[in-house]
Amino acid sequence: MAKTIESFGIPVVHVCSIVPISLAVGANRIVPATAIPYPLGNPELSKEDEFKLRKHLVMQALEALTTDVEGQTVFKE
Amino acid sequence: MKLTLNKFHVKDIQFAEKSSFEGGVLYIDKAELAEYLLKDSNISSVDFDIARPGESTRIIPIKDVIQPRYKKSGTGQIFPGFVGDVETVGNGETNVLEDCCVATSGKIVAFQEGIIDMSGPGAEFNSFSKMNILVPLIQPIEGLDKHTHEATVRIAGLKTAAYMAKQTLELEPEETQSFEHETILEMGVKYPDLPKVIYVDMVQCQGLMHDTYVYGLNVKGILSTLISPLEVFDGAIVSGNCAAPGHKNATIHHENNPIILDLLKHHGKDICFVGVLLSNESAMLKEKMRAAYYTSNLSRIIGVDGIIASEEGGGNPETDLMLNCKFHEQKGIKTVLVTDEYCGRDGASQGLADVTPEADAVVTNGNGNQFVVLPKMDKIIGDIEAARVITGGNANSIGDDGTLSVEIAAIMGSCCEMGYEHMTTRLR
Repeated sequence: MAKTIESFGIPVVHVCSIVPISLAVGANRIVPATAIPYPLGNPELSKEDEFKLRKHLVMQALEALTTDVEGQTVFKE
Repeated sequence: MKLTLNKFHVKDIQFAEKSSFEGGVLYIDKAELAEYLLKDSNISSVDFDIARPGESTRIIPIKDVIQPRYKKSGTGQIFPGFVGDVETVGNGETNVLEDCCVATSGKIVAFQEGIIDMSGPGAEFNSFSKMNILVPLIQPIEGLDKHTHEATVRIAGLKTAAYMAKQTLELEPEETQSFEHETILEMGVKYPDLPKVIYVDMVQCQGLMHDTYVYGLNVKGILSTLISPLEVFDGAIVSGNCAAPGHKNATIHHENNPIILDLLKHHGKDICFVGVLLSNESAMLKEKMRAAYYTSNLSRIIGVDGIIASEEGGGNPETDLMLNCKFHEQKGIKTVLVTDEYCGRDGASQGLADVTPEADAVVTNGNGNQFVVLPKMDKIIGDIEAARVITGGNANSIGDDGTLSVEIAAIMGSCCEMGYEHMTTRLR
């Protein structure tokens, strides 16, 4: 899906828990997520900490979306 | 360590007033077995059915398949941590019912349960269709949570298998098969010139009922560890896995792990089979990295020349498989991978979710997306409606004429990634 949307000239950020798979399928902007059953949260955290984590992931994704990249890039911290 | 398997071939299973094994027929006293299983207060009722090779019978949904075994001598008892106490197994004698298995059914636990057809084209996809099958239909009590339901069915299946094999305890086996395996240090002295090979048994342990148990412990989150191949034959590894039926390692696959059997056959002749490393497949990348690094560290500490690694499940576990390959190869350890593929109904898509250039020796066991139309069966054991929700099935899987349209991922063990069956895929 990421590749198809990008083929129309729309940049895509793939927020993905298993980064090697995202690299293998050819996403260009990759933001690592938490885990397969809960990519965008973490039920083991308190509600407040989980909110912080979720906000951080979204901000990271937005930053990745507005960053120019030369080929596949993993956005870590 | 030495283990002897005493083999009894089952020609038929019949219900009777008293349980016994006579003339190749396993007689089962339903009431006695039910009473044994109903000691678990999470089971509200249990019934049993029998499926025989060649019958027009379809079993659905099936959570696990188990080969009946019971220890006659040696330490511990079969399925330690569940049937037996937590005590070392893998020595002495174990009675085994061949051509026979237990397939647990009843109310569906989760959507990743499978089908066995006893005849027709569906029967070609697994060995279970050629076995006499006892099916416990286990109904849980009202409101039982899914995880407890899974454990309840898992343990009931193991108990049923042990009960069946126990009927042979006083009898002489038709054939025996013995295995011996030295300590690693002894092997180093005994076979200094043979290439040293370890088997990396990747076990799916992701929580949410994608779990594997070793000596009764859910091994989710453990560091990679060693186990003797002979312990595996005594049910030390048990499936609690509700992953896709076509390529989850059911308990029977562990009990008869074909990679271990083959490696033991070559042990001391052309290779030195050092042992089995259990490597977790987690749901988090960091844990996948840790498992693969730790497994490769152990391989290096032991000093092996090569590994064979088998996968369980598919999709994200391909990353575990490829990381194991990459880290071993980086340490100079040759690696062969055993997997299956999901390359679409036409076979044209990429078969694995992850790949690495180091993976240059890969054995595949078929395409789980292969689409089949299975004929109507005269008898359904379980609930055919489950076909609409299980992996490989869909809302339209059940035809008006009773045919079943599914991808073979729905068929128990069809693409077993230990190479238990005989399928592969061909590059065109």
